[in-house]
Amino acid sequence: MSITIALAGNPNCGKTTLFNELTGSKQHVGNWPGVTVDKKDGVYKKNREVTILDLPGIYSLSPYSAEEIVARDYLVKDKPDAVIDIVDGTSIERNLYLSLQIMETGIPMVIALNMMDEVETKGDKIDCQKLSETLGVPVVPVVARSGKGLKDLMDTAIETAQSHKKPEKLNLFDQDLQNAIAGIADVLGGNNEDESQWKAIKLIENDVVVEKAVDPAKLAAIKILVEKANKNARGDAEAKIADTRYQYISQLVKECVKKAHRGHVETKSDKLDKILTSRILALPIFAVVMYIMFACTFSENFLFIEGLPSPGVWLAGIVETMWGMIAEGVVGVIEGLGASEWAVGLVASCLDGIGAVAGFLPLVLVLFLLLSFLEDSGYMARVAFVMDRIFRHFGLSGRSFIPMLMGFGCSVPALMASRTLESDKDRKITMMITPFMSCGAKLPIYAMFAATLFAEGNQTMIVFSVYMLGIIVAVIGALILNKFAFKSDASSFIMELPQYRVPTIKSVLIHAWEKVKGFAVKAGTVIFASTVLIWFLSNFNFSGMCDMEESFLATIGNGIKWIFAPLGWADWRASVGVVTGWIAKENIVATFGQLFGNVSEEVVEAVMAGEEGLPAIGQVFDQVSAYSYMAFNLLCMPCFAAVGAIKREMGSWKWTLRAVGFQMVTAYVVALLINVIGHLIF
Amino acid sequence: MPLSMVEQGDIREITEFRGQEEMKRHLQDLGFIKGEKVRVVGENPSGMILLVKGVKIALNRALANRIMVAD
Ligand SMILES: Nc1nc2c(ncn2[C@@H]2O[C@H](COP(=O)(O)OP(=O)(O)OP(=O)(O)O)[C@@H](O)[C@H]2O)c(=O)[nH]1
Ligand SMILES: [Mg+2]
Repeated sequence: MSITIALAGNPNCGKTTLFNELTGSKQHVGNWPGVTVDKKDGVYKKNREVTILDLPGIYSLSPYSAEEIVARDYLVKDKPDAVIDIVDGTSIERNLYLSLQIMETGIPMVIALNMMDEVETKGDKIDCQKLSETLGVPVVPVVARSGKGLKDLMDTAIETAQSHKKPEKLNLFDQDLQNAIAGIADVLGGNNEDESQWKAIKLIENDVVVEKAVDPAKLAAIKILVEKANKNARGDAEAKIADTRYQYISQLVKECVKKAHRGHVETKSDKLDKILTSRILALPIFAVVMYIMFACTFSENFLFIEGLPSPGVWLAGIVETMWGMIAEGVVGVIEGLGASEWAVGLVASCLDGIGAVAGFLPLVLVLFLLLSFLEDSGYMARVAFVMDRIFRHFGLSGRSFIPMLMGFGCSVPALMASRTLESDKDRKITMMITPFMSCGAKLPIYAMFAATLFAEGNQTMIVFSVYMLGIIVAVIGALILNKFAFKSDASSFIMELPQYRVPTIKSVLIHAWEKVKGFAVKAGTVIFASTVLIWFLSNFNFSGMCDMEESFLATIGNGIKWIFAPLGWADWRASVGVVTGWIAKENIVATFGQLFGNVSEEVVEAVMAGEEGLPAIGQVFDQVSAYSYMAFNLLCMPCFAAVGAIKREMGSWKWTLRAVGFQMVTAYVVALLINVIGHLIF
Repeated sequence: MPLSMVEQGDIREITEFRGQEEMKRHLQDLGFIKGEKVRVVGENPSGMILLVKGVKIALNRALANRIMVAD
């Protein structure tokens, strides 16, 4: 018999960590509230009959932001066979508030008391036996991160699901409330007592979603009962319900938890926070962290030491050299096998294209590792808070910072992360400007141009300045959108700050592996297909194989290049690059590798060894137009995958088109300004 | 008085929230209820960091202005 078990709990309590351990998946884990924004299912490793479902975190069954609705809807509408309610043992009092609410739904449930390692370090003792007896729900202590207690947990959960054992009714509420609940449940009717009781409580709590689903004929009668409950509770029955729950929990915790220290003791996290969120140091520290992140990725004078490459640049050099040798070997072998000239050309061209991208993979990888380190440490939530004041000036909330920072990695998850923003305006603006944060796939473009056209000592500055340009344009864009497209409302910021945690090597390695795998898949599919297509289009026309300048692609490129003439690069190859970039931004480098790649043997070797960029680019671009080209590709429509994410998150084509239109216009205007002003100065 | 006036290190009791229903509910879910004692553990230009039910919560000044605490 197949069963479904859902994982529910407060944000950041370790649901995804547990999900990954149980199913062997590699879903995104991060140390801030709101990492998971969609439900995700997987199969339990040790019993393939059991489906496990990871949900976004929720603080209660009355959802607040978009991703919380997903979780609540799943729990109360789709009804899993059992819920594992994950309770963070280090903040048990707050976490149990949700547990009580889940118990009210009548879904069979087990409590997993997580983070027991941290509870132990703190010296606290939790009496699980007593907790379980009082609540009438099984309680299993676990450490999701190390897998401790998971077998026990799953055995209990499966048994609970199979026996349909409902949590016991606690009857917390006083007589007035109980009467009100019973009365409303009566009016609601229906054959499921648990459900109508749950709905009755929600109606007293003024839950709009539940209210909308009620038969309008019954609504008047219910309203009267709710009114009466409110009167009995001195005006606010909802507050009374919350208060009752919290008081019950308070008592329960007093009985079951033995704290090592009474009162407030300063933890390591508190000490760190004193520095990292301090009045004066917070922003300078953040600037240094950002600098270190980018310096490790693409600095040629790492730590200000002349000529010392950063880890990213160093690795990139190695990969490029290796790829050069492999490519040469492969071409040699097929030539030796007597393959026809066009076949050799095709293979060499594709290797050039993919190699151009692969060479820059280490840069991207290092950037991702550092980003994942930031995500796992707990620093993200702090920066969101510290940035709030600054972001307000641009009409955004500090929460927008998280999607924007993730945007330096990849726009797709970044766009999804915008779901946690509660204000619709903030969410829309954030989605429109997040692609301006230069994603990892765009980094190779700048690296390529920097190596080709700019002096040795300036290359880091050029790449860094493109990133800064993206940030500045995002800020100005937000200001403009806020002024003209949306009416602004002062929104509030509230966010839980998790404890700082040392990122585990395992999780960092998972991130790295996922990135390499993702790249391999992308290189093997989209980029490979594009390179083959580009090779075909650039070597053929209606009369068969031809010179590149007369090919289909040249014809197409020449047809559209006038559009870009004001930007300083009226070249068919550059124009084609923009278009292939929409399939995947790495494609721009691959396309350049193919179309500008036909140069002498010595030059190719120098390029492959990372000593030089593609020199042919220099015949088309000067420094100003190269910069304009980088800016255009940074700001224009992101890749189709990201546009798809915008569409999903915006939920409408109209807004998707608006966003893309805004990005296109911005890109054109900025690139135009760079070209015009740049040529006036230089 | 508003929570935003409380000094770092002080513990105060929440008396009232002046604002929208949804925010009130969200605050409630995070442990901000009438009679709850909260401690201000940090402060900076963005707002303040509180300890509520053993959890650290950051909120900005606009919000802290609308949460009333006992004098
Ligand atoms: N010390 C310790 N840390 C844990 C444990 N389980 C999870 N964590 C950490 O807690 C943080 C949050 O974990 P996630 O699995 O992303 O939490 P989540 O509940 O999925 O969070 P959201 O998706 O934001 O709701 C991560 O930094 C984990 O490494 C545990 O048992 N012990
Ligand atoms: Mg998660």
